[in-house]
Amino acid sequence: MIKIVTGDARPIFKQIVDGIRMQIMTGQLQVGSKLPSVRGLSMQLTVNTNTVAKAYSELLSNGLVESRKGLGLFVIQPKQILSDQERQQRLEKAVEALIHETIGLSFSHDDILQMVKLKFTDLPDGNTD
Amino acid sequence: MGIQTNTGENMSKYIIETQNLSMQFGSKLALNNLNLKIEAGGIHSIVGSNGAGKSTLFKLLLGVITPSVGESFILGNNSQKLGPKDRGNIGFVNEEHTLPDWMQVAKLIDMEKSFYANWNDAIYKQVIGNFNVSHDQKISELSRGERAGVNLACALAKRPQVLILDEPTLGLDVVAKQAFLESLLFTEKNDDCTVIYCSHQMDEIERVADQLIVMEQGELVNSSTPEVFCQRIHYWVVDFPGKSPHSDQIPGFLQQRNIEGEIHYMVIDQDLSLKDVFIKLGASSAFQSEVSLQQAVNGFLSRNHHKPEAENQNV
Repeated sequence: MIKIVTGDARPIFKQIVDGIRMQIMTGQLQVGSKLPSVRGLSMQLTVNTNTVAKAYSELLSNGLVESRKGLGLFVIQPKQILSDQERQQRLEKAVEALIHETIGLSFSHDDILQMVKLKFTDLPDGNTD
Repeated sequence: MGIQTNTGENMSKYIIETQNLSMQFGSKLALNNLNLKIEAGGIHSIVGSNGAGKSTLFKLLLGVITPSVGESFILGNNSQKLGPKDRGNIGFVNEEHTLPDWMQVAKLIDMEKSFYANWNDAIYKQVIGNFNVSHDQKISELSRGERAGVNLACALAKRPQVLILDEPTLGLDVVAKQAFLESLLFTEKNDDCTVIYCSHQMDEIERVADQLIVMEQGELVNSSTPEVFCQRIHYWVVDFPGKSPHSDQIPGFLQQRNIEGEIHYMVIDQDLSLKDVFIKLGASSAFQSEVSLQQAVNGFLSRNHHKPEAENQNV
């Protein structure tokens, strides 16, 4: 489920975008599945409907979902529309966050890398390269 | 300076507009030359410290008090000349949820219905259904949450074009607060109903606000979306091995705290190049992070009462 927290440095619409992107990437939301309606998700999270609408339009412009007229938003096969530079930046940011979270746990670097690899093999496409 | 006399007919773009609005109470300037424009639609949240002039603004907008200087317009009409019909299009919910204590809920609703031409019973029932109110109770017997529910249900059932809420969830328990926010956000309103939501609860503001208006000492200091406001403000943690600089030397300085030998700054309208400034001032490291709405508003509003005691504390 999508969770939002107030008091986070990410605005709520961004948290919704990140939450749904995560669910798509981990296969919890598969290609072809329908997103909750704007009103439905707004009520679930108790947020302004405009906030959810904003999150959905970002998912649309990121090429993660498509709009089917009168039916709602559906998850599609991700299209790569980010620039190489943007991809690089996001990768660095994500890896930094990973390091940040794990550095104090006294695992060896190999242990951590091993775990990352294992998690990737668990993904639906099993893509490890 | 002459006061402009505008009849209001040509001001339909803004649901609320104030022109050089000032209000003086004795020696205290409660509003200082406020020029505020609020476009129709959406939820506009007003935040500010106590005494920033929010409640004075509402009283002026509703024509309850007369401004010292300037004018205010609501729905295109001068606040000082609102007729009964104009007032029917304006909803107001205050923190006390002022209702006639001696009346039965059912009687109050009958009275409200007869007063307001646009009264919509379906909306009333939808909203009151979110609160546990029995209509044979007297208003004085209601809990604070139920009272808030009756007040909001009445305000929404009148289908106002503008709805002003002044700290409406103050003192409500979690259940009543949730019911209140849900009713406000998801009750079918006129599409062009503009909501002015005043609160000190940043978690609520984050959930409801389309636009964020920040007032400080009777002046308007920000009007943008909450995200844009947050992006203006950054948090820096800086290590000065030697003496820390005076806050005057920090561009965009809002606030600083000295925590375990590191200086925590909040700054406004600065980019990452601020790091070079810190290094030049003798910092050995400087780390920037983004802030939450809560931090942004707090940093912004505290800038005028920051204590310079943190200076020269490094040994």
